[in-house]
Amino acid sequence: MNECMNSEIQDLLPDLEHGQLAAAVRQQVEAHLAGCESCREDLRIIRTVRSAAVFAPSIDAESVVRQIPPYRMPVPAKQAPARNRMVEWLVAGTVAVFLVGGGALLSNRQPEPQNPVVIQETPDNSGGVMLPPSPTPVRVEGHTPALSLVADTHELSDGNLQQLMDEMENFDALPNSEPEPVFAIDTSEGR
Amino acid sequence: MIPGPEERPEETDMELIERWKRGDSRAATRLVGRHSQALARFAASSGEREGIEELVQDTFVRAFASLDSFRGESTLRTWLFTIERRLMLDRRRAERRSRETVPVEESDNVSEYGALDSLIAEETQERVRRSLAALSPTQREVFTLRVQQGLSYKEIAEVVGSTEGAARVHYHNAIEKVKGLLKNE
Repeated sequence: MNECMNSEIQDLLPDLEHGQLAAAVRQQVEAHLAGCESCREDLRIIRTVRSAAVFAPSIDAESVVRQIPPYRMPVPAKQAPARNRMVEWLVAGTVAVFLVGGGALLSNRQPEPQNPVVIQETPDNSGGVMLPPSPTPVRVEGHTPALSLVADTHELSDGNLQQLMDEMENFDALPNSEPEPVFAIDTSEGR
Repeated sequence: MIPGPEERPEETDMELIERWKRGDSRAATRLVGRHSQALARFAASSGEREGIEELVQDTFVRAFASLDSFRGESTLRTWLFTIERRLMLDRRRAERRSRETVPVEESDNVSEYGALDSLIAEETQERVRRSLAALSPTQREVFTLRVQQGLSYKEIAEVVGSTEGAARVHYHNAIEKVKGLLKNE
């Protein structure tokens, strides 16, 4: 007996046995069965298995129904009261205003942190003012040298401050670096 | 003449369910009568030896208790098979625990299939029974649901918790195996 390769027909055999096929399909399957020993064997097995199942015990429907409790309508879960969408939007808007306003206020109060300029102690060979060594680098806000000078002076000791004052007096005593005015002399007179 | 309650044309399962919900116990009787034998056959084919009536009753009690969760996406019978199958699996697990033996696998299901021993007398049927007993539990379930109950592959997939394609493969493997075993006998 050759194995049938028509799996579509094989699939339909249980439906044929249960009378679930449309007339046209049933005729198609029956025509195939007439020439296919393999499918006829399948159908024989299907019929045998099906007939074997009729020996299951019979069930008394009434006794089963007596065990079934009466229907209880499911209790709907308590629903939360419907919220007003307008109130929700108002609350959300108020919170947003507070957040934005508070953020802006805080940013105005706190100066923007700038990159602090760290003055490293470096040996000054140019004859300038020697600042005393400090244990930690002096942090000076901003880049303005004047500010840094102001910031530095309070670090000076009395001796160094006096020295600075003396140096400043010397600055005043320096000769004017501006060029002397040149007056024109008429040399042609008396020729 | 308007037909009385007993003379109504065939009502659908959904109509009967609605009637039962409104308090008509006769609707429940009709539903049970309509599906109980199919459930009993499925249980017997699946290897249940004892307590098939109790199993069918438990299936209906559970089903009626949770009818609100039945949406009608599958047929009521398919849904009932699914419940019954779960109950059978629970039973078998409980039996395994009570026996405290090595986990029951394929070979054990062969002995469970002895349910049909006293039911099938003819020689051919006996040969078929032995062949079915040699199938894996899933193959046997799929095969009996397809052959005995006439379920579609889609419905079988719902009952056994598989896919339509897998159910089709199980069916074809099962029938080939049965044929091969019958040839060798």
